[in-house]
Amino acid sequence: MSLGGLILSLADNKQLLGLRYAEWATRAPSLEADIAAAAMGLDDLGHSRVLYGCLEPLGEAGHLAREADPGDYLNLPYFDEPWSSWDQFVAANAVLDTAFTVMIQACVKGNVEVLRSRLRKMLSEERYHFLHGRSWFRAGIEEGPLMEAWRQALEWFGPPDGEVVELYRRGALALGPAELRAGLEQRLETRAPDLDIDWATWDPRRRRSRPGRIDARTFDMLRGLEERRYHPSGARGQAGPGR
Amino acid sequence: MGSGGVSGPGFNRVHGRAREYEVFARKARVEPLRLVGSVVAPDDDLAMAYARATYDEERWIEMAIVPREAMVTLWAPGEEAE
Repeated sequence: MSLGGLILSLADNKQLLGLRYAEWATRAPSLEADIAAAAMGLDDLGHSRVLYGCLEPLGEAGHLAREADPGDYLNLPYFDEPWSSWDQFVAANAVLDTAFTVMIQACVKGNVEVLRSRLRKMLSEERYHFLHGRSWFRAGIEEGPLMEAWRQALEWFGPPDGEVVELYRRGALALGPAELRAGLEQRLETRAPDLDIDWATWDPRRRRSRPGRIDARTFDMLRGLEERRYHPSGARGQAGPGR
Repeated sequence: MGSGGVSGPGFNRVHGRAREYEVFARKARVEPLRLVGSVVAPDDDLAMAYARATYDEERWIEMAIVPREAMVTLWAPGEEAE
């Protein structure tokens, strides 16, 4: 995987994370948590736009034609389907969102100028995602979503001899997989669980072991098809909802 | 799981033991900090995240939160100043 491929994976995961956060904007445990879910969703969707904008300078074009197969998106299995529990939200917020932030930090401290300059602002916004995730994480969540989030974060960092290591050696990233893992553990003030990851079945482009793809409704939304349901042909120029 | 929260359907309502925080902000150095609202949260971290999410619509140059219980009231509505 090239650096562009890694940034495309980060962009796709940020986009899906933002959408999944936003789905909880009216379902979180309190009004404040609703608002935080909406705000974090907007942040991550915005971050994905910035990351997609970095792809051309990096020579990556894998995102330009993805209208047919939802499996073309490089998202983690965690985002394939809408979350059904608040614990899934918290595990993604605390572990996966923070894992992406540690990778952004590795880019900002690396030697690729387009990433050093454009990604820096994300870190200040992500501080509040981290505070939100850590606080709910400390309150306690179910082990299932937490273990799944850890597994997918460690898989996303990549194997100890993969291309992230090569990007680290070249200086494009300031952290390799081991350092990314240590950074995530340090932020969450806990050790990663001892997981047996079978790298032989790991897909280096999608950075995941488990097959699967995003659900049809989300895929339609990403392609703008979902919006058309509310904008039927012939309705242009007429009054909007409520008429 | 949880540390004092109220059980809910599939999650802990940690607000069962939450505090109220007042949120202050200003747009320019020459302005004083002014009260822009409040949030309810179980700890400072979550209160900061909530304050930023709820009141970040404007271009504040500074935002701060204070636990309401830390405010020393001199007098309140319906009371005489001493």
